[in-house]
Amino acid sequence: MRFFQPKSQLGFARILAETRSKVPISPGLISLEKPLKKEGYSAYFEIPFPTLDNIDKSSKKLIWIFPKEKEEKVLSKSFVLTEQPFYPHFVSDSISSQDYFEYVESFLSFPEAFRQIFTLPITMTDSKLVNQVSQTDCSLYILTGLSSLFNNQRRLSELLVSLREKISPDIAIYVPGPISPAFYSFLVYSGIDFFDNSQAYYTSKNGYFLTIDRTYSNEEHPTCYCPYCMEKPPNLFKHNELIIKNALTRIHHSLKEETLRTLVEKDIHNKVSFAATLRKYDSVFSQSFRSRSPIISNATMKCVGEESLSRPVITEYRNRIRERFVPDLLSRIILLLPCSARKPYSFSRSHMQIRKAIKKGGRGIFSILSELIVTSPLSVVPRELEGIFPAKFYDIPVAGQWTSKEISITATLLNDILKRYSKDAIIINHMSGEGYKDIIQIVREQNSFTVYDTSQEASPTSDKSLSRLSETLQEIFSDKFSSDVQAPSTLTKKLRAISDFQFGSDTGRILFADSLKTKGKYPRNQQIFSEKEQIAILNSKNGFLSLSPDSAQSISTKSKNILEFGDIQVKGSNIFAPGCIKADNSILPNDEIFVVFEKQVVATAKAIVSGKDMNKMTSGIVAEIKKKTRVKK
Amino acid sequence: MKINTSYSESIKQIREKNLPSREHSRRIIHWEEKHRIKSEVVKALVFILPTRGCSWALSGSGGCSVCGYLYDNPQKPDFEMIMISIKDILNKKIQQEEEYSIKIFTSGSFLDRNEVPINVQEAILKELAKYHQIREIVLESRPEYINDKILQNIVNNIDISKIEIAIGLESANNKILKNSVNKGFFWEDFEQATERIIKFGAKVKAYLLFKPPFVTEYDSINDIFLSVSKIKKLGIDTVSINAISIHRGTYLSLLFEKNQYRPPWLWSLVYICKEIKAKFPEIRLICDVVAGGTRRGAHNCGECDKAILEQLKEFTLTQDLKALNHNIQCSCKEEWKGYVLHEKIS
Repeated sequence: MRFFQPKSQLGFARILAETRSKVPISPGLISLEKPLKKEGYSAYFEIPFPTLDNIDKSSKKLIWIFPKEKEEKVLSKSFVLTEQPFYPHFVSDSISSQDYFEYVESFLSFPEAFRQIFTLPITMTDSKLVNQVSQTDCSLYILTGLSSLFNNQRRLSELLVSLREKISPDIAIYVPGPISPAFYSFLVYSGIDFFDNSQAYYTSKNGYFLTIDRTYSNEEHPTCYCPYCMEKPPNLFKHNELIIKNALTRIHHSLKEETLRTLVEKDIHNKVSFAATLRKYDSVFSQSFRSRSPIISNATMKCVGEESLSRPVITEYRNRIRERFVPDLLSRIILLLPCSARKPYSFSRSHMQIRKAIKKGGRGIFSILSELIVTSPLSVVPRELEGIFPAKFYDIPVAGQWTSKEISITATLLNDILKRYSKDAIIINHMSGEGYKDIIQIVREQNSFTVYDTSQEASPTSDKSLSRLSETLQEIFSDKFSSDVQAPSTLTKKLRAISDFQFGSDTGRILFADSLKTKGKYPRNQQIFSEKEQIAILNSKNGFLSLSPDSAQSISTKSKNILEFGDIQVKGSNIFAPGCIKADNSILPNDEIFVVFEKQVVATAKAIVSGKDMNKMTSGIVAEIKKKTRVKK
Repeated sequence: MKINTSYSESIKQIREKNLPSREHSRRIIHWEEKHRIKSEVVKALVFILPTRGCSWALSGSGGCSVCGYLYDNPQKPDFEMIMISIKDILNKKIQQEEEYSIKIFTSGSFLDRNEVPINVQEAILKELAKYHQIREIVLESRPEYINDKILQNIVNNIDISKIEIAIGLESANNKILKNSVNKGFFWEDFEQATERIIKFGAKVKAYLLFKPPFVTEYDSINDIFLSVSKIKKLGIDTVSINAISIHRGTYLSLLFEKNQYRPPWLWSLVYICKEIKAKFPEIRLICDVVAGGTRRGAHNCGECDKAILEQLKEFTLTQDLKALNHNIQCSCKEEWKGYVLHEKIS
């Protein structure tokens, strides 16, 4: 059994907890020696200085720090440090490899208690022998030499991604040595779990003075008023230690509230090569991060820089809209609207005014109307999906200017979606401004739809534009509307769209009838009933669905969120890795998943880690049960 | 195989690049210093003979990864002049009432016939034998030149009990000898040479290298302790701990320039001396720090270096632990501890 258990996953970043006690310990800080105060540290090394009496016999340990009341419960309180021979990472293979492989072979032959920490120099990450180590219950890798790649974005991204792809998420990686706390968030995002306080030790006149976003020389640095700097003489070690600890709690917190990516985008401004590496992650390695980033979340998402355009979550969102969004069959009018600062859009003043104007278009207008909100960086948000993450939770600085990249991404997705509509549908463009103009231009060039502009001369919320919108709708409406056809309700359309987005194409139509009953009003969760049976709950916080096991059964052949389980009955409240026979690779952390035994849904659950990683883990919890199917007696 | 072929190849390349630029000098360098023998301090006369240089360094192996002494040797030695100079200096310097220790260094091996021809060895020893004031003579040699024949030759020319043969063992760990220093011999060779020397009645001094390339300071401290205890078992009572200084034109120098090597801390040397002397008080422990306090030598933060170097000097001379017990406080002591530990883990 491994020492660690992921509690949550966000790309390669995870919160790791001790398996038995569930005490979260990563991202964490390791002290090089026993600290005076244990607060803020996850562990410390006990490495006695060599003496003549204990040559080669002194055991070197890593001791974990737990709250007293949990200590009895934990799997182990300390690890024995296994050592590779003396070579540093930069030594050429021809000198070190033979001795290193001897180390790996002896490591593999150790009893399990001595096989918890493995030293891995960056030069050896591709070795086959090392792959064997990842099959053992080894819990912590010491990755040495990584800082030598900090200026090499290509090798850095390749190495970290391939290592993290290879090893299970319950194996922690510790990067030893002095690293500026300004880089922690990026490295945690890259899958590093532990750092140490070695940088705090550089306290001489040539040493370092740390701030949360930079490293200064000790001779010239900004004044600090922390109690340690106020001491005479200032206690530089304690100051640096404090900064390092705070830097880590900041990251831990952002992981908890799922805003790490926003923090990373801010922090990469501290180092250009990391900014470049992040771009590599988002382009070349996008799939690796996307398949591990939750799309069910209720974290606010600030999209300030260019990096935000290609966030994994946003790329995943666009992808799902492209692949899974199907407009209602009766839609004949496509209304393109600008976004609003307030989310969900329909709660904003501008969208309320627009809604009023739409209603003037005629009774029943919504049955043939499909509203698409055009925005950056999400590109297109169908009205039906305005309540889900990330549509409800993003924020961008609006200055009216669009970059050419934004324009091309947005126009491409919009064009792809428009292809799904009936050929005789009509587009009403109720957007104004430079970027929107360019997008509409592209739409016009690449489609044969008739496009009416209703907000060309004035802003979309001006009386002039709003009345033009109403008039235009009236004109078209009488043409296109036929009262004979029974249209699905707005609620049904919304639920179907969410279902398709969340569970996979075609699931919405199976789950939700044209008319449904609900209980509970915003901001409470909505319970959805069909023929007096509750079939689903719409979570008002994140906008996603929870299904009853029976409803889940009805889409179990269509949905991708499937975990094949090894037994007909689920015991306890968790699914453990050994019980998971196979998980779909497209499952994301936080996803609502269906636990299936021989094509029978036996429970619904919430994924803790991605499907890819469920298949890799050999111990620990992979999903939390939400509801079990009642066993028929 | 006592060498790592690819490692020695890269050392050789560096050597070949730097050898043509070495300067031709014929001067015999000599100086006088204080020196500790057994329980007293005497004057020591140190001679550096301008031979052709160390045969190991000149060989196809490239020599030791840390040694640049070769670059100070002349290409064509003039042994006639060397003999004249030695006679002259001894004559001038040795005074009637004083006692002396003589150190004859070549930056190579005095007992290597290819470096110092056998007749020159004999002549020098004979000359030294003339002075009763000389209590001790230190010669340096690699173990492979120490055979019965060459030792017999010493016996024939001088009272061999005065002779101390200093061998640069560097480490008792063959992995370090092979993959770090490129020393070309193993512990077992040293062991054999020592047995021979003791059999003939001379003494042995072992040089240990503190912090050779690739070895962390922590591991090197450990290695020194390990080596000292192994050496002690052979009956050797004099150990010289040589902290590395970075010679130009060496493999180590390249590492240093790439920021992949930091010379050892003086704190470590103090720690090592204290530990060894406390546990093995009978060992004569010598710790002369070459280029101490400079960037290329053992150093601390720059503020406390001078005071610690003074202490080490005093300790080497007096062999008294008290010399090391002046409590020097410096902000870099924490830094040293942190450095040693993190370097160990990394």
